[in-house]
Amino acid sequence: MDTLWQYQFRIILLGDSTVGKSSLLKRFTDGIYSDVADPTVGVDFYARSIDIEPGVKIKLQLWDTAGQERFRSITTSYYRNSVGGLLVFDLTNRKTFDHVREWHREVSEHILPHHMVYILIGHKSDLSRDRKVTRDEAEQLAADLGIRYVETSAKCNSNVERAFELLTRDIYELMKMGEISTRDGWDGVKSGLTAKVLYPAEEEAEREKSCNC
Amino acid sequence: MPDVRMAAYVHSKGVSWEVKNDTLMPSDRLRQDRSESPTPGLVEGTEPGAGQEGAMFVHAQSFEDLTADSEPNTDNKSAEVDDAQEEALEEGDEEEHLESEQEEKGKEELKNSNKAKEEDVTSETWRSHRKHVFVLSEAGKPIYTRYGTEEALSSIMGVMMLLMSFVEDKKNIIRSIHADGYRVVFLRKTPLILVGVSRTSCSDRELTRELQYVYFQIVSLLTLTQLNHVFQHRQSYDLRRLLAGSEHLTDNLLRLLDRDPGLLLSAVMCLPLANSARDVVSSSLQAAKAKNLVFSILLAGNRLVTLVRKKDQFLHHMDLHLLFNLVGSSSSFREGEGWTPICLPKFNPAGFFHAHISYLEPASDLCLILVSTDREDFFNLSDCKKRFLERLRRRSAYQSLQEALNTPSYSLSQVGIPELRHFVYKSKSSGLYTSPDLPALYEGGEEQERLMGLYQHLHSCLHHPTRPLRCIYRCTDTENLYALVTSGFELYLCFSPLGTKSLAVSAVNRLLKWIRKEEDRLFILSPLTY
Repeated sequence: MDTLWQYQFRIILLGDSTVGKSSLLKRFTDGIYSDVADPTVGVDFYARSIDIEPGVKIKLQLWDTAGQERFRSITTSYYRNSVGGLLVFDLTNRKTFDHVREWHREVSEHILPHHMVYILIGHKSDLSRDRKVTRDEAEQLAADLGIRYVETSAKCNSNVERAFELLTRDIYELMKMGEISTRDGWDGVKSGLTAKVLYPAEEEAEREKSCNC
Repeated sequence: MPDVRMAAYVHSKGVSWEVKNDTLMPSDRLRQDRSESPTPGLVEGTEPGAGQEGAMFVHAQSFEDLTADSEPNTDNKSAEVDDAQEEALEEGDEEEHLESEQEEKGKEELKNSNKAKEEDVTSETWRSHRKHVFVLSEAGKPIYTRYGTEEALSSIMGVMMLLMSFVEDKKNIIRSIHADGYRVVFLRKTPLILVGVSRTSCSDRELTRELQYVYFQIVSLLTLTQLNHVFQHRQSYDLRRLLAGSEHLTDNLLRLLDRDPGLLLSAVMCLPLANSARDVVSSSLQAAKAKNLVFSILLAGNRLVTLVRKKDQFLHHMDLHLLFNLVGSSSSFREGEGWTPICLPKFNPAGFFHAHISYLEPASDLCLILVSTDREDFFNLSDCKKRFLERLRRRSAYQSLQEALNTPSYSLSQVGIPELRHFVYKSKSSGLYTSPDLPALYEGGEEQERLMGLYQHLHSCLHHPTRPLRCIYRCTDTENLYALVTSGFELYLCFSPLGTKSLAVSAVNRLLKWIRKEEDRLFILSPLTY
């Protein structure tokens, strides 16, 4: 098992179909822009590490979800095991912005009594001539929901890294303040390196896990 | 005479085995057992490409299993609907103008951005397609059209539903309409109605088979349970909400039906690969198993590398074709690891499996599909893939696979039969087929579809429900065709116009000999289970 990271955070991308969740995620994980023609089927899984402080490496496990209704039964099962969520809308498509509140409500209700750390993403910022949602109203929505707002473009590689970093940092700060902690049976946050040093019992549990498979 | 020649070939091959390599005695013995059969190559289970142990697939008759619901058409019935057709079309004309305006306003959101979708359904271009496919609900709601948009066609789909209901009110069933060079085929699969229109030489049966595939594609996305439930709950439900984003799957499936002989034959083609390398791949998949894993499938583009299955579980060809279609239609699996619910309708139409889908490397065509019964199994299967890859690398098999990918097919020149342009050979007991590259003559899409149409025609003659044939020879202006079916195999051959029937008959024996010689490479002879 990879023990070169201190913590592992599971993060999920949420939003309507075609807002560009997959392009955003591939820009972040592979550093390339791909004009994804086909819709995501079910969920797609990616991983990447990020250094948020000297000596603190966070491994991100990232779930890209299909926005279509028929996949709701599978995508909802991944809400519970995520600590962070990117709420993505398309700046050139008003309806996707109007649906953000629904996404936020659906996910938040699904994971009660626990909470997710969100960030609002206005995507496709390169298409400024086709813009349908002003920065002000997006920032107002973010303020209403009590979350950050970032405008991104996978095509121009604008703010992509920053969006994921901000979310990761927010989660890390909440963890340090004790508002988020690891829980048995929950995969949203896991300890890495420290597990071997501080929690021998967990190490034993991990050995059991590997035996099962 | 051909039988004697065939026996002679097999016998001499046996001799050469003995001379060349004594260590192969066990398989040689097996080969000799086969050659002792009174009609070698003809008896099911001994034909070239037959697996030595249990088959990987449900043993399906080429055609009947997929169209068991259909009944043979009679001229009487199609004659009856002529009047109904005229009457319904008049009503349709009246409705069309009014409804199209309403529909376009209300359903703007559901419009697809696909090019073929945006075709104007009143244009000559739309009318001149060789084939059309429509799917509607029993309430007449549009669900899918191959060309154009569903909302623009809602009144036409209403006419189709009306035609069906009208005939059924008279305690009858509408199967097809033939008129003016067109045939229109109707298929009711409650709660759906499927309609195929063709002005090719495709038979009613062939069109019905294609509609069956479309139906199963839809069931694969939703399960029959969910499909029935949504319409029981609300008869006028708009199924496009649940199918949103899947149109390209059905579009691609229809393209495959026009071009891939595997769907016609209920068979799949293997990546040519030395059987020693294939055995390593299979045993590596076998070793990388998990408790709830049912099938492990390695694909190379549209070729099967290997399939390992849980003991006593069999995969139907149609279900495998749906998996091929899902992978081949979706670029989203290329990076990352996909995890999706999928129904395998022939295996169990009522529930979902879950499939872990990933490429071995982003730039590779090798795609691994792990099918599990447990929806929470993602990380277990992700671990299985890692173990599989480690094992492949440790046993130096990965390199062999990559090399095999560089030659995913073979040229007809390897076979060396004069005037032979192409062939398709299916081993019945293994459910696998082999076919060389298309020669340059047939490389264009249209020519490929034309050749496939000719094979389809031969296929429907061989498998005619009331007058099946054992073999058929047909001459056209541009090629001569020969096809035969035995208890062990089906074979379709395309010759230049200079070929003769006697040449065709002798070519069969030579070809069977060649396939026997190459079967280790072209087929999976030792399937594994876990």
